[in-house]
Amino acid sequence: MIQPVNILSLLLILSVLFAFGSSGIIPIIKMIALQGMIITIVPLFLHHDLTTGSLIFGAILLMIRGFIIPILLYYSITHIIHKNELDPVCGHNASIFAGILIIIASIYISSKFDFPVIHKTPLILPAAITVLLGGIFFLMARRKAVTMVIGYLMLENGIYLIGASLSKPSHRVVEFGILLDVLIGVMIMGIVLFNIQRAFDDTDTALLRKLKD
Amino acid sequence: MLEYLLFVPLITGILAFFMPAKISRLLLVGTGTWNLGFSIYVWIERPEAFFNQYFKLSPEGLLVLLVISFLFFIVSLYSISYLEVTKLSNKSVYTGSMLLFLATMSMATISDDIIVFWIAIEATTLASAPLILLHKTKASLEATWKYVLICSVGIALALLGSVLMTISMDIAGIEVSLTFSELTNIASQLDKTWLKAGFIFVLVGYGTKMGLAPMHTWLPDAHSEAPSPASALLSGVLLNCAYLGILKTSGILFSADLGQFTGNVLIAFGLMSVIAGATFILKQSDYKRLLAYSSIENMGIIAFGTGIGGIAAYGAMLHLIHHSLIKSSLFLSSGNILLGYGSKVIEKTGSMTKHLPKTFVCFFGGIVGLVGLPPFGIFVSKLLIIIGAFQQGRYIVVGVLLVCLLLISAGLMRYVMKISFNPTETIVTLKEKPLLILPQLALLFVSIILCFWIPEPIYQTIIQSISGISGGFYG
Repeated sequence: MIQPVNILSLLLILSVLFAFGSSGIIPIIKMIALQGMIITIVPLFLHHDLTTGSLIFGAILLMIRGFIIPILLYYSITHIIHKNELDPVCGHNASIFAGILIIIASIYISSKFDFPVIHKTPLILPAAITVLLGGIFFLMARRKAVTMVIGYLMLENGIYLIGASLSKPSHRVVEFGILLDVLIGVMIMGIVLFNIQRAFDDTDTALLRKLKD
Repeated sequence: MLEYLLFVPLITGILAFFMPAKISRLLLVGTGTWNLGFSIYVWIERPEAFFNQYFKLSPEGLLVLLVISFLFFIVSLYSISYLEVTKLSNKSVYTGSMLLFLATMSMATISDDIIVFWIAIEATTLASAPLILLHKTKASLEATWKYVLICSVGIALALLGSVLMTISMDIAGIEVSLTFSELTNIASQLDKTWLKAGFIFVLVGYGTKMGLAPMHTWLPDAHSEAPSPASALLSGVLLNCAYLGILKTSGILFSADLGQFTGNVLIAFGLMSVIAGATFILKQSDYKRLLAYSSIENMGIIAFGTGIGGIAAYGAMLHLIHHSLIKSSLFLSSGNILLGYGSKVIEKTGSMTKHLPKTFVCFFGGIVGLVGLPPFGIFVSKLLIIIGAFQQGRYIVVGVLLVCLLLISAGLMRYVMKISFNPTETIVTLKEKPLLILPQLALLFVSIILCFWIPEPIYQTIIQSISGISGGFYG
């Protein structure tokens, strides 16, 4: 049961690089859907004491992160905003370079830890930290409101993966991260509502620069 | 029984959304009064919770609870006249969100479970976001977006911090329920490295919500865009709720003999906030943002005092109470100024002594209290924090603090003079009804009373709440 986890972790790392290099929003939405699916599946391989509760929870999380949120984002891009291009604060090449630095940093950080799970599946912790740091970078380096939501989703996925792989499943702490999706829902609602109302022409958060000192 | 504090405002809040404006206003005042009464009952009787694995009274929670219910009562009174005068399009949304906001904040004060507390803090974001958006302008949209996004990132990091704390339990091989009280009891057995890491994330996470620099950027926007009574609650009590999480988590670290580390981190963040406040207060064109930056500064002082410990921690708890009283009073007064002059820009105000004489008394009194002059309570609390820092021989940090406090006082006084005495051509038509003035005066009056005489139960509770930090009052 170890090999699939390593392959999925590798996919997660690649998905972060893909998001950094992509110039359209729709491919990134597809990427975040894939990432959402992977992070719900990986913990099922790690813990052998699967209960009905954890399976049901996994199914709910899969629905929300893998389908509902990406579909909502996709809908808001294709039907309401009608703009697929990103205009990054930090260019694609520089972003990919930053992504590689993030991966190196994650591998370095996780080599400091000594957990049984790391000996069995050496890639999972680097992948989780990469997704987390990548999400934070994405929040800072992309300007559109939708991409900020995607960056936040990546951050959440990273936290979930760290919690699910390191902490004992009996604690039921990281599961509450699903409540953060309510906040994501609020953000998407905000984007959609204000694009319908045309309070401003574009959800470019660079336009949101009136309040500052 | 404690859960009534959560459920009653929750139910009335949901009801208020569907009621016409007049009835929902009654619900607001009614719930505010009930909430104050029930909080006093809780203080006297100290009842158990129905779900006592999740909810439990703690001394620091009791203090914040009392501040919340008193302030909410006062703000609900002010809201009666405010809603009559102001031009809000949807008043039911205002009252409903205020009540839900109260419910979530009360939940934060009584929760003992780390995750329940976390949920409560997340819920405060959700409940207060509509309040900031209420004016539906571009600026308020921007403020709400910033508020939701930045606080969401903060709250996500706080969850990561909680996860790391459970890892410190796993490594030590301990199985207890994940509550602040249980973790404090067994703190010395926890794994120290992971506990430290967890604390840093919790501090950054809840610190975002508390307005500690450099995570404070949402705060001035949100406080200046929300309707003034809502700003009063945001600044007066929401920040305290977030501080509660930091204080309780620090309690765990102090019990685990990590007091030195925790204290230094708190001092660093506190000092950064005070410096940020001083930088932005000196040059400010908007009086509500001025007050917001002062909130950042005061939260910094509270974190600083907690970090120093001993008599300064006592000062920090006093500061928390007095800052809430005075700052909410100031935000309510700023509501009058906004209603009168129709602008938040300092340059467009002036001659307040002539146009709004009663508001002038409240506003000027509040600023005098805020800069730390007697007879207001902030004088005592700042003095205790500074004395505590000197006692411990931390001359450099207290020197920086004093310079910043001086600059902040100068900045605040300069602008209050402008607002009060500068000539202006604006025509002010606002009538200063009793309920637009008396609430602020009541808040200032309570601060003066508490400066000279603290009731014995409150004094004992403050002493208990800091007993876990740096050896308590006499440490």
